[in-house]
Amino acid sequence: MSIVDVIDRAKAEGRTVLTEIESKQVLEEAGVPTAAARLAKTAEEAVSAAKETGYPVVLKVVSPHVTHKSDVGGVRLGLDSPEAVTEAFAEIVAAVKEHEPGARIEGVAVQKMARPGIEVIIGMSKDPQFGPVLMFGLGGILVEVLKDVAFRIVPLEPRDARQMIREIKGFPVLQGFRGRAPADLEALEKLILKVSAFVEAHPAIEELDLNPVLAYADGAIAVDARIVVG
Amino acid sequence: MARAADARSDIKARLDRAFNPRTVAVVGDKRALGYLWLRSMSTFQGKLYSVQIDPGEIPGIEELGVPNYPSLLDIPEEIDYVLCAVPRQVSPRIVADCAAKGVGAVTLFTSGFAETETEEGIRLQEEVAETARKAGLLLIGPNCMGIYNRRLGVRHSWEQPTGDAGNVGFISQSGTHCINFSLVGDRHGIRCSKTVSFGNAVVLDAADYLEYLADDPETEVIGLYLEGARDTGRFFRVLRETARRKPVVVWKGGVTKAGARAIYSHTAALATAPAVWDAAMRQAGAVQTESLDETIDAVKALVRCRPGTGYRMGLIAMTGGQSVVITDAFEREGLEVPLLTDASYAKLSGFFNIIGGSYRNPLDSGGTIGMGFLPQNLQKLLEILEGDANVEAIAMEVGAGFLARRMRENPGILDSLLEVVSAHRERSAKPFLAIAHPGHLEDVSAMIRARLLERNVAAFTDFRSAARALRRVVDYWRFREGAD
Repeated sequence: MSIVDVIDRAKAEGRTVLTEIESKQVLEEAGVPTAAARLAKTAEEAVSAAKETGYPVVLKVVSPHVTHKSDVGGVRLGLDSPEAVTEAFAEIVAAVKEHEPGARIEGVAVQKMARPGIEVIIGMSKDPQFGPVLMFGLGGILVEVLKDVAFRIVPLEPRDARQMIREIKGFPVLQGFRGRAPADLEALEKLILKVSAFVEAHPAIEELDLNPVLAYADGAIAVDARIVVG
Repeated sequence: MARAADARSDIKARLDRAFNPRTVAVVGDKRALGYLWLRSMSTFQGKLYSVQIDPGEIPGIEELGVPNYPSLLDIPEEIDYVLCAVPRQVSPRIVADCAAKGVGAVTLFTSGFAETETEEGIRLQEEVAETARKAGLLLIGPNCMGIYNRRLGVRHSWEQPTGDAGNVGFISQSGTHCINFSLVGDRHGIRCSKTVSFGNAVVLDAADYLEYLADDPETEVIGLYLEGARDTGRFFRVLRETARRKPVVVWKGGVTKAGARAIYSHTAALATAPAVWDAAMRQAGAVQTESLDETIDAVKALVRCRPGTGYRMGLIAMTGGQSVVITDAFEREGLEVPLLTDASYAKLSGFFNIIGGSYRNPLDSGGTIGMGFLPQNLQKLLEILEGDANVEAIAMEVGAGFLARRMRENPGILDSLLEVVSAHRERSAKPFLAIAHPGHLEDVSAMIRARLLERNVAAFTDFRSAARALRRVVDYWRFREGAD
């Protein structure tokens, strides 16, 4: 299903927020690497999806009414057996029902537990004057507290992607901090440019959050994704 | 798309007519204004007309030797540019006359429109804008000073220099900053080609003027004072395209919260998030400044310095103390002061006076060049720095105090020093600038800077502003080169 179909379906259902699975699907189509997530409607489906993906896995609630999944107990990490997956499925459903009684739960997203990397975030929001603006920053506390982020107006050129990564104060972290391997900056730049082209091509996208993107010594991948359409 | 492009090229052609008029009409000038407009336009090389119906005002206008007509439509020839200074209630009628007359453009000096945030002001602004848009009339303003063309003597202040050509364009939302840029800039050797103060921007926006100056062959560097664009997206695209061809210095007003509040009452523009604005300017390749002085310093350096792309400085100062602080000043602005090559040290060791001096870089060389008495040694120092592979730009202190003392004994000393410095500037491929601190001899220092500027050397009053300006030059040319 193409992005246009996904957006149309969401609109037909009266939604402006695409689910994680939908978001990743359209991003993949646009050439943005994402950690694939499969929808499992039952615990049994979750176990078989986990088997195919390979353990350990992550389970995340899929609901058009839940935006901050971990806030409602909708995320379980590091599940390494069919039993753990079955149990987590039930727990997630129960927790979300408790925190968000009206939410329609479509199931859970089963995703292979990503190998550790450096967490960065890439986002897009619309500036009332400049239109779509991309944001780049390191994940976690650096973004929230220090507002250590860089902006660029869409469409970006290669140099813009290069500069915005190097502009943040936390850049040394990506260069290989305390003996860690340096992040694959080229892969990050490519990812940023793909996101720029994607949002430029689809003005209906109002907001986009890739949080986190994991930066590795070889490549980068969006582990979670959220898209809001207008 | 094609129609929009046609419309824009049409705007450019008509702006060209207004910026280079053969005929100008001033509507509504009067004694109470001190005949601001007719006096300012007295240097205009073409034909100047006045339009005024108040019988009490007409004799005063005719005394100035300007033919007066009761209406624009009565003037027996085409009018390229109109300056309208009538009260706001009358302005819709004058704008309608401009449309009927088919003038190139009209500037509404008149204020009292949307910037007052009153119902009547907003309504009148919409009315004049609507009239202009319908007629395809270019309207500059309202609430602004309009066009200045130095070569043709079209002015908006009677103090503005005129007669010769310039190479710096300036676009300003504020009349004060527009006039000050031309006046203060002139003191810094900046000659304006064309400037425009455009106020509330109801019909023409900053991007229109920028697009025009981008293609203006006379204009080599563009400065801009902006509070907010009507169509920021378009402004950004035009800026990004223009900065790839000419340096554009953007001084943004209303960056702080309270400043943004002041903007609204001034020109009725919307404020932008500072971090996003900042990023956009960087992305577009604009040179960003925060004040008139910084803008003038940046433009001065962009006009006079070679287009260097390296941060490594060779520094010459007259004394030990100045050597230390000039180095700090340049390093603080992100420039580097590296060691020189062994070959340079070998050459320096042959003649450099190390009693009271040193030459690691900075070159503490007051003794070596006899505070100006030994210009041949200064020439050697400049040649060594020019040939040094570790040095990508050169800055030198001119000790005004020392020179002033020596000039009493030998008045020709300044000329021989200037000769060496300007000959270096001509030959050198590296950005070069000179700093002459006012110290206790403001007039001597100002005279030295003026003489340096005459000879095309970018001269500054202090290390910090010189360093900052040079950093901007280097950053700009790195952008042009695609570095970083």
